[in-house]
Amino acid sequence: MSYELAIILVRGLGLGSIFALLAMSFNVVHSSSGILNFAQGNFLVLGGFAAAFLLASPPDMAMWWIMLPVATIIVAALLSFHGWITLLPLRNSTEQDSWMISTMAVSIMIGAGLLITQGPFAQTVQSAFASFRVMGTRTPAPYALCFVLMIAWFLWLKWFHARTLTGLAISAISQDMEAARAAGLRVRRLQLLAFTISGLVVGSTGFVAAPVLSISADSGFRYVLNGFIAAVVGGMGSNTGAVIAGPLLGIIAMVATYQVGGEYQNFVSLLILVLILMFRPQGLFGRTAARRV
Amino acid sequence: MAQAQAITMTKPSGNLTSDKLQFWLGLLIIFGTVLIPDFMGNQYYTHTFQLVNLYIGVAILQNILFVDAGQVAFGMGAIFGLGAYVAGIATGMHGLSYEWGIVLGTLAATLGGVLFALPALRVQHFHLGFVTLAAAMVFPEMLVAMNKYTNGINGIPMPTSALTQRLPIGLAPLSLVIAAFSGLMLVLHVRMRRTKLGRRMMVAAASPEAAQSLGTSPGAMRSIAFILVSALTGLAGTLYPPIVGFVSPSAFNLDLSILFFFAVVVGGRGQPLGPILGVYILYLVPNVLLVQFVNFRLMAYGAVALAAMLAFPDGIIGSLEIWRRKRQLRPEDDGALRVDRIIANAETEFTDKPLAPDAERPVLVEVHDGRKSFGNVRAIDGVNLTVRQGEIHGLVGANGSGKTSLLNVLSGLSRLDSGSLSVKGRDITRMAPHRIARLGLGRTFQAPRIFPALSIWGNLEIGIDGRYDKAEEALPVRVQALKEALSDRSAEYLPHGQRRIVEVMRVVLKEADILMLDEPAAGLSPEERAEFSHLLRVLSRQMGKTIILVEHDLDLVWGVADKITVLDFGRVVASGDPAEVATMKEVHHMFVGKKHA
Repeated sequence: MSYELAIILVRGLGLGSIFALLAMSFNVVHSSSGILNFAQGNFLVLGGFAAAFLLASPPDMAMWWIMLPVATIIVAALLSFHGWITLLPLRNSTEQDSWMISTMAVSIMIGAGLLITQGPFAQTVQSAFASFRVMGTRTPAPYALCFVLMIAWFLWLKWFHARTLTGLAISAISQDMEAARAAGLRVRRLQLLAFTISGLVVGSTGFVAAPVLSISADSGFRYVLNGFIAAVVGGMGSNTGAVIAGPLLGIIAMVATYQVGGEYQNFVSLLILVLILMFRPQGLFGRTAARRV
Repeated sequence: MAQAQAITMTKPSGNLTSDKLQFWLGLLIIFGTVLIPDFMGNQYYTHTFQLVNLYIGVAILQNILFVDAGQVAFGMGAIFGLGAYVAGIATGMHGLSYEWGIVLGTLAATLGGVLFALPALRVQHFHLGFVTLAAAMVFPEMLVAMNKYTNGINGIPMPTSALTQRLPIGLAPLSLVIAAFSGLMLVLHVRMRRTKLGRRMMVAAASPEAAQSLGTSPGAMRSIAFILVSALTGLAGTLYPPIVGFVSPSAFNLDLSILFFFAVVVGGRGQPLGPILGVYILYLVPNVLLVQFVNFRLMAYGAVALAAMLAFPDGIIGSLEIWRRKRQLRPEDDGALRVDRIIANAETEFTDKPLAPDAERPVLVEVHDGRKSFGNVRAIDGVNLTVRQGEIHGLVGANGSGKTSLLNVLSGLSRLDSGSLSVKGRDITRMAPHRIARLGLGRTFQAPRIFPALSIWGNLEIGIDGRYDKAEEALPVRVQALKEALSDRSAEYLPHGQRRIVEVMRVVLKEADILMLDEPAAGLSPEERAEFSHLLRVLSRQMGKTIILVEHDLDLVWGVADKITVLDFGRVVASGDPAEVATMKEVHHMFVGKKHA
């Protein structure tokens, strides 16, 4: 019993950390532009692919540390380009919902590209770190590393939004875009930067989590779904909410896998999403925005 | 009242929309492509175009749901699959007749629509998109997981249906049914916009507040839209098994949902021909012409949608339509229209008369010790207000003094923290906004709710649609004249001041007897203001309306109002007859540099 409980808790926490990292990467972009990137999960998977290509197997520890920033920067660069394309039609159009279509289209293209070049089977990546034992159960190291990465990005983003001029400017956009523009902020450039930061977050996550990630053409959307649920449960825009909701969701997903079977994991996630939206749409830590009439 | 400027009421040369042309063209394409291959006896193309046209029918429904009802629902493939699968299970696994399959499949899909509508009552926009998209992703997984009932990944073969046996006329009944179905969906799309329900749906989608103020519950509209569209999508789904002869989970995965949604966006949202073109580009071309590159099908979906989004943000048909409308723009469309003149001209015989004394007029609106705070800000702080029948009651005060907050509370869009409200003697403190509106309350907004998708007449007509609980009656002659003059005029180019007048006239046409006008004269020239004052007097004295007027132009208010209430920091600082209020020292600071009698 304690054996199962340990697996559920530790792996749930690790998996949940990935969800929380995705949720935080959603939040960065969402707060700067109101955009919710449907392709975010595919970029996470791309981070995993980068690990599969850049690392030998079994990987060398030194190479791992060298390739971590390389993979992160590659994904961030791709995501910046994607962000640029997404922001393009918003520049001079009254139709401000085009991002829903363009990010979904990019998500499909990445998935299709991976399918064409890699085939339908999942890539495997070996861990550079030795697995560790919790209450007698062997646990792959990336679960712990993801948790550490979540805390690290959470603290960095907290510092970035509160202490740097650029971070404050992005926060200002999320408060009132028109006012931010009137105050002379270069809104488009800051929004693009937000895409880049979200790329750094998911790129590093994909690389670090690669050994425990499902690296295949069709798994991107599953991660988007869970990351989105973590963001909604935590409250859209709240990173504190994300780091609490993500692990919570991860543990629930693990319990569901153990109790009713892995094929129902997404169904349980969907159920959680519907319930939270029905009864507390602003999430656990979200603010209710006053409606202007 | 000057009648100097005559209004040109010439019939415009072009149509406001090309719905009619698109409709006939679409009908021709649907019937042609289904019936011709079948008649020629080409099995491959018969089969392909049956499926293409079925998908077109569903994409049209998606168009209605997404554009006309404003619901971001990505997961219609799951609803379609629900219809198909339940029909498949009923006939293929339990040996029921196909008729039962149709009934059960449609019912199941309708139930699915109810499940989609539930979150739509709470959340909108991409939240809803996400929920429905997630449902579409989970749906095939569930089909596999519940293999006891669905035969899992192997799918269900279907017994050959009599529908596919060709009739003596050289056509299979299935072809006729599919052509008729998709044709009818096109009819539904074009016709629904001309119905009361269609317009109410559109208003609820574009501005829930405006819908509520016209007596329409946005939640009810969303539910109706989801259930109607889901039932019909499910019906389409039940036609799928006889075409393919087989149902399997992989046929109803996420790609299908995305096909329906992208078909609408690429083709042109809201355009009758849009879904047809969209399905041709996204489904037919990759599946038929590029059949040897089947792996690139998904890539083509994504690439075409992205390219279309960048090149034609309004979709292909949508962009053509915009170009056509620009070309047909006539000089008089360019802001010259004066709606108030058309209306005021109709009221030629008007004699201003004094109001009956207070005691003879019943109280229509009453606020008792109303309080409302937003965080630390007390927007309404112990307000008492009494408005009697037939009077024009001016509500004045500085910005942020609580005037609009008071209107919002009275129309039910926000709730009092404490205190009570009543309208016509009925307590409305906790009443839903659309129910309050049905008591005969009408309001306008600081930012006028004008819908460019409708003609100017359409923007007025939604007021007539707001006459709930009233028998259908023929329009009076002068309203009929308005209809003729304004049916073909785009509301897009209406100047700001005129938009407010259109909104005022909308609530008049709603036959609201209490009008709450939020800064109606902002953006009007001095001359227009004089005419507007006259209009207010006509509404009050001739038509017997009670008017609550929030306005910054104090000259206008003092010139026209019977009673004035002055608000400051959420409190009533003065209230009474205009002359009396003007002499009170509490309000003197408002009139710096001005003289009032």
